[in-house]
Amino acid sequence: MAAESQPLAVPAEKSNRQKQVILAVSRLWAWVFLVGLILFFTITVFSTSGGDVNFLTVRNSQNILMAITPVLLMGLGQTFVIIAGGIDLSVGWVMGLASVISALVIADFTNNRGMAETLAIPLGFGVGILSAAIPGFINGLIIAKLSIPPFIVTLGMSFIARGISLLLSGGNVVIGQPPGVRAFGNESLFYLISGEGGGLFFLNRPNVTGEVLQRLDRILPWPVVVAAIVTAVLLFVLHKTQFGRHTYAIGGNREAALRAGVPVDRHVIMLYTLSGITVGFAGVLHTARFNGGSSIAGDPLMLSSIAAVIIGGVSMFGGHGSVAGTVIGALIIAVLTTGLVMLNVLPFYQFVVVGIVVILAVLIDQARDLIIGRIESH
Amino acid sequence: MEPILSARNIVKRFGGLTAVNQVSLDVYPGEVVGLVGDNAAGKSTLIKCISGVYQPEEGEVYFQGQRVHFARPIDARKAGIETIYQDLALAGNLNVPANIFLGREIKKAYLGGVVHTLDEDTMLRESDKLLKDLEIRFPSLHMQIDKLSGGQRQAVAIARAMYWNARFIIMDEPTNNLGVVEQRKVLELIRRLKAQNVPVILISHTLPDVFAVTDRIVVMHRGRKVTEKRTADTNSEEIVRYMVGALDDTRATA
Amino acid sequence: MSKRFVTLLILSLVLLSIVPFAVAQDAPAKPKIGFLPGVVDPFYQVMEIGVNEAVADFGLEVVTQYPQTWGPSVQTPILEAMIARGDLDYLITAPTDKEQMIAPLQAALDAGVKIITVDTFLGDGDYVNGPVTFPISYIGSDNIEGGRIAARALAEVLGGKGKVYIQNTNVGVSTTEQRGQGFKEGIAEFPDMELVGEDYNLDDANTSVEQTAAKLQAVPDLAGIFGVNVFSAYGAGNAVKAAGLEGKVQVIAFDATADAIQNLRDGVVTLVIAQKPHDMGYLAVAFAMADWRGVTSIPKHVTTGYAVINAENVDDPEVAKFIYQVPGQ
Repeated sequence: MAAESQPLAVPAEKSNRQKQVILAVSRLWAWVFLVGLILFFTITVFSTSGGDVNFLTVRNSQNILMAITPVLLMGLGQTFVIIAGGIDLSVGWVMGLASVISALVIADFTNNRGMAETLAIPLGFGVGILSAAIPGFINGLIIAKLSIPPFIVTLGMSFIARGISLLLSGGNVVIGQPPGVRAFGNESLFYLISGEGGGLFFLNRPNVTGEVLQRLDRILPWPVVVAAIVTAVLLFVLHKTQFGRHTYAIGGNREAALRAGVPVDRHVIMLYTLSGITVGFAGVLHTARFNGGSSIAGDPLMLSSIAAVIIGGVSMFGGHGSVAGTVIGALIIAVLTTGLVMLNVLPFYQFVVVGIVVILAVLIDQARDLIIGRIESH
Repeated sequence: MEPILSARNIVKRFGGLTAVNQVSLDVYPGEVVGLVGDNAAGKSTLIKCISGVYQPEEGEVYFQGQRVHFARPIDARKAGIETIYQDLALAGNLNVPANIFLGREIKKAYLGGVVHTLDEDTMLRESDKLLKDLEIRFPSLHMQIDKLSGGQRQAVAIARAMYWNARFIIMDEPTNNLGVVEQRKVLELIRRLKAQNVPVILISHTLPDVFAVTDRIVVMHRGRKVTEKRTADTNSEEIVRYMVGALDDTRATA
Repeated sequence: MSKRFVTLLILSLVLLSIVPFAVAQDAPAKPKIGFLPGVVDPFYQVMEIGVNEAVADFGLEVVTQYPQTWGPSVQTPILEAMIARGDLDYLITAPTDKEQMIAPLQAALDAGVKIITVDTFLGDGDYVNGPVTFPISYIGSDNIEGGRIAARALAEVLGGKGKVYIQNTNVGVSTTEQRGQGFKEGIAEFPDMELVGEDYNLDDANTSVEQTAAKLQAVPDLAGIFGVNVFSAYGAGNAVKAAGLEGKVQVIAFDATADAIQNLRDGVVTLVIAQKPHDMGYLAVAFAMADWRGVTSIPKHVTTGYAVINAENVDDPEVAKFIYQVPGQ
């Protein structure tokens, strides 16, 4: 550290302004990138299809929101965990576990016990989310109390959740769901019929068929509404509450947090439990959307969810990141997938691009610190 | 006058090694005591026995006239003994008020106490006032600790201790790794603490610093206290001879 | 941060939601086809060749997308992006789950895209009387019959006795489930044959190798293995090879990939049962074209049959054409 040259007094105004600019760029590049991607796909999809295909449509916006829902929910809990310096690798199979258990409970209570679906569905979803919170709690307990690295503990939990969900489901997709399940997963808050005889409808799907049905778009499907509420709550918790502050503190300097009297062990347990809960939401929403419980629901999405978190600016060393960043990260990945499919490019390019963006995100963070360090030492 | 802190005949062993051997130490109100010694002399171990990090095998600690047992560092802090460690124990990713209030955040209640949010405004205002009282200026309190200089960080750590009504402050190598200007600022802070009647134990390798601010100097060598001098009555040459073991009052009196 | 976040979020949503200007379109003279297989593998790539040949023969356009892994969570976003194009008339797809893909494919139909399922099906595959009737047709192998063929062929090689084992993929996948079922029925025809287990490798070749290796250890006198698809046969064949049991343990491979044929030539695999993915792809496009032209008597279910490949006939051009060969690979 170039300490000699640093007085306690205020550094020059100019370098301060430079710093503000660089900080702003490093914070906003993901937004700019996302908007750029959307513009890119809007133009290329339109022009390569000879004007037949539009990227910017109501339907597509809702598709993208639906596509990010599970990735985002898995990433939200992960955001907290990684900010605090941990990692949760169990999210994929725990999501499958929640999906299977919610479907089993709903099927059993409606088909075998005669419970009304209006009761059985909330019950099943509640049990499903709980079934994901428990492995999260156990993860946290082992990590906090036995000081085993989170990587190992959550990897182990991933296998355990996988085994249990396959055992419970017999490897089958758990079916026999009442109609309300599929409705919750596929119906929406609003319906829009564009063009002739159209309009905006609230809650009740207009009973149309044929060509008019083709013009019907679902605006804010229920899973998107649920994800939005969870996101809003966690945005508040991370950035406005003591819980969030302590999450950052633990990731920034665990020892300092401990000495300052932050109940670190208890907090770590709560963080992994929170991760389990958000994953549980992803699991039960899978059940709803696909009308059945599936143990393999989450595994293919796990790496995407971690990529979303990293693109969003969460440092793997802990201490940095935001809920908004993770939302952007998930949006970037979903826009890429959708855009490339609509461009009729093989979606495998998506992996290449996501890989580049992940590395870019980390590079931008490091470049920021480097440049600011230079400004300060001058 | 009664000592505010009194450690008597402290012994701490690690396996076969006696890190601290029958050391006694008194600190009086408004006094700055320097604790010096070569590496592995037992300074830090002694301090940790006082601040609750270690439990001494033998000996007693009295604070404000009461016999005290600190099972954990937090107990010592609750009693009013703040230790500012070498690594500062600040969260580098948080800003100044967040660090000053870490673990004891001020909150606002909503919905009849169901929801609590951080009261950032109050914490910022309090931090600002506190730092002004200590005559420390920052470009912005919103800056992350990582982006501050070593002296600024030291100031935050001291401010935190002060805010929480520290009645006794232990500082472990506070001027290490600091530039000359910053060193001077930290020493000024120590003088200001003294002026506010807060006693300080200063552990340091840098003898000029020790001579600049202390009232008394305690020298340790291989776990034992080898001398204790009024700063006015000694000089650094003499202290160095104690530090390397060339002089030893306990031997002389034995 | 939060205020900026909300502003930017709203901005993005608005940007995403701008209703595009309506492009006046005359009904095009020819339908546009979408092709969405279950996962990227040689079987579907050969099917794509069939699709492309038919598309060229009828002078149509096709949009093809491959999910990188098997499962509704991956297939559905791709499906929705294809439907969001708004220019497809027919979708030829292999649903990755017979139950879970009903809702997404129903939504595709609601959006005006007609569905033909190939290889795998929805519901119970009976689009006349079954729970799902909206797809135009299901074109695939009779997988129960395929399983029986495998069982009988294995029994013949083993002289009608011995312990056998199934390497399966996922329960819930219509085709492989039925192959397993058919195999069990076939084995039941031989009183001296015993099924000692069935494992699910989740369509992962490494898992398949592991499971098969474990089974070979647990059952030293195992006589035969049935690998129900590309990856399962790959795993079973390679595990047998690794254990040095070529010739002692007979492996029936479902699906005639290059790897399976190589194993056949190496003597690791006794018999390869080839489906006809090329025919499935070609027929599906032909059915779409027929529906477009107003044909109303399209069969709701077509089976495309099998070719049985063994060491003797593998070089016969009439048989070799059923090997899944993707040009350029």
